Amino acid sequence: MVSRGRRVAIVGVGYSEVGRRTGLSLDHLTAQAAVAAMQDAGVTPADIDGVAVHSYPYQFVSANHTAAMLGIPDLAFSSSSIEGPAYSAAALHGLAAVASGSAELCLTVRTVHASGAASTTASHGASAAIAGPQQFSAPYGDLSGAHFAALYMRRLMTTYGLTEEDFGAFAVAQRDFALANPDESFFREPLTIDQYLESRYIAEPLHLFDCDYPVDASSALLFTTEERARDLRQRPVYFDAWAHATTNESDFNLVEDMTHTAPWRAARRMWSRTELQVSDVGVAGLYDGFTFIAMQWLEALGFCGEGESGAFVRAGHTRRDGIIPTNTDGGACNVGRRHGANFFIEVTRQLRGTAGARALPNHPTVGVVTNGVGAFVGCALLTVD
Amino acid sequence: MTVYAPITPAADQLTAFFWDGAKENELRIQRCSACKRYQHPPEPVCRSCLSFALDYGVMSGAAVVYSYAVARQAFHPWFADKLPYVLAVVELVEQPNLRLLTNLVDFPLDSLVVGARAHVRFQQLADGVTLPVFGPAQPAEGPVQW
Repeated sequence: MVSRGRRVAIVGVGYSEVGRRTGLSLDHLTAQAAVAAMQDAGVTPADIDGVAVHSYPYQFVSANHTAAMLGIPDLAFSSSSIEGPAYSAAALHGLAAVASGSAELCLTVRTVHASGAASTTASHGASAAIAGPQQFSAPYGDLSGAHFAALYMRRLMTTYGLTEEDFGAFAVAQRDFALANPDESFFREPLTIDQYLESRYIAEPLHLFDCDYPVDASSALLFTTEERARDLRQRPVYFDAWAHATTNESDFNLVEDMTHTAPWRAARRMWSRTELQVSDVGVAGLYDGFTFIAMQWLEALGFCGEGESGAFVRAGHTRRDGIIPTNTDGGACNVGRRHGANFFIEVTRQLRGTAGARALPNHPTVGVVTNGVGAFVGCALLTVD
Repeated sequence: MTVYAPITPAADQLTAFFWDGAKENELRIQRCSACKRYQHPPEPVCRSCLSFALDYGVMSGAAVVYSYAVARQAFHPWFADKLPYVLAVVELVEQPNLRLLTNLVDFPLDSLVVGARAHVRFQQLADGVTLPVFGPAQPAEGPVQW
């Protein structure tokens, strides 16, 4: 096996206050999440020497300012990523920094405001003329992630016979996990398949309940070496393997094959870097910015066959007692759009035994986390000793 | 009542040929002068052979629907009275995987399918701005199996 440097552990996780309109600034949310993660790990700002954030220019929180705000004295490693697979972009930078020896203890963060989630109008502003590559899409009314998602779903439905009921089955199963997570879920009632099908179309065939739930939120995780992890408060959760992948198109609408986007490449790359098998994985956190994304990951990772995710989900295989319990916190459709970080946090909690009443009966020791679809994605395998 | 302006393309040195072409009712796609490959959106360099000698070709306008979605919510106020409108990715017949994001117009929604044959049309968006969009191919032919 190729060496990937020092073994890296997740040693702390934390969330800010989360809500539809918290009234808190991006910096405020970031500080709350970082402090929560430090308390979880039992470390102080003086212990931290690396910061990696993922942050879009229109809602920017810089790594250097994050460090300064928290009183972190000196950064041996700093990364402010403005493109890529959401939180996992920060995670992949942070863990590479620790693995390589560039940093000893790295804070990784993703902070969002709800206003940036629903449409690209937030990034376009009021300007009526659009420059750059979006001049070939925005004038046509291609303005939201829901639009590329609907195009991908239509193509999947045509190619494999997937149905709206299949996507709905994932939303329904995920809501049942959310009901067991009342502290974090924004929804308290079960979702029925009829409610899903009757929910309005954002862009047909995509329904409202295919979409994650926009919130103000910050999420933070701390990574360090195996040696330092042993002395900290929590049971370490280790990165066993990870991968990033892209397609040869940077435009989500123009990827060569909408049914085989970057998750397929990332999954293949990740499995080539580990001795673990898909059957070893006992818990999954699969990005659900839109329901079909989690389903594409189920196929790409090999939990089910190509085009078979609908039948797999309808058979209950992603539920608590299923083959691969998926999004056990309820996913971003229910706990809010934390842009990938909640999957890393929830799988960490399941593996280290701090998931409380949500602890899975299969006592998983291997979990998989994923983020993104289309043009760029990241994924990782997490383990406990 | 507030009248909203549409979102318009801000043409630049790289992209002006495309929008100038649309005004002339021509669908122009960037083409490499060295290897003759088409590419869209335009880039400063050929993705196939790395030549910087780039020109454009005028397309026949024939295309096939790769995927489509029916927008039912407006994410910009100008689109509020345009709902529902059809977003689509179409593939031009001139080269495999040569695709554009566009609107489909005049397709009956209940019979629209992936693989439908389409043909370019030109729709004025604002003074001096024309969008290439796609309508049903005439004469109508059956969809392409894809």
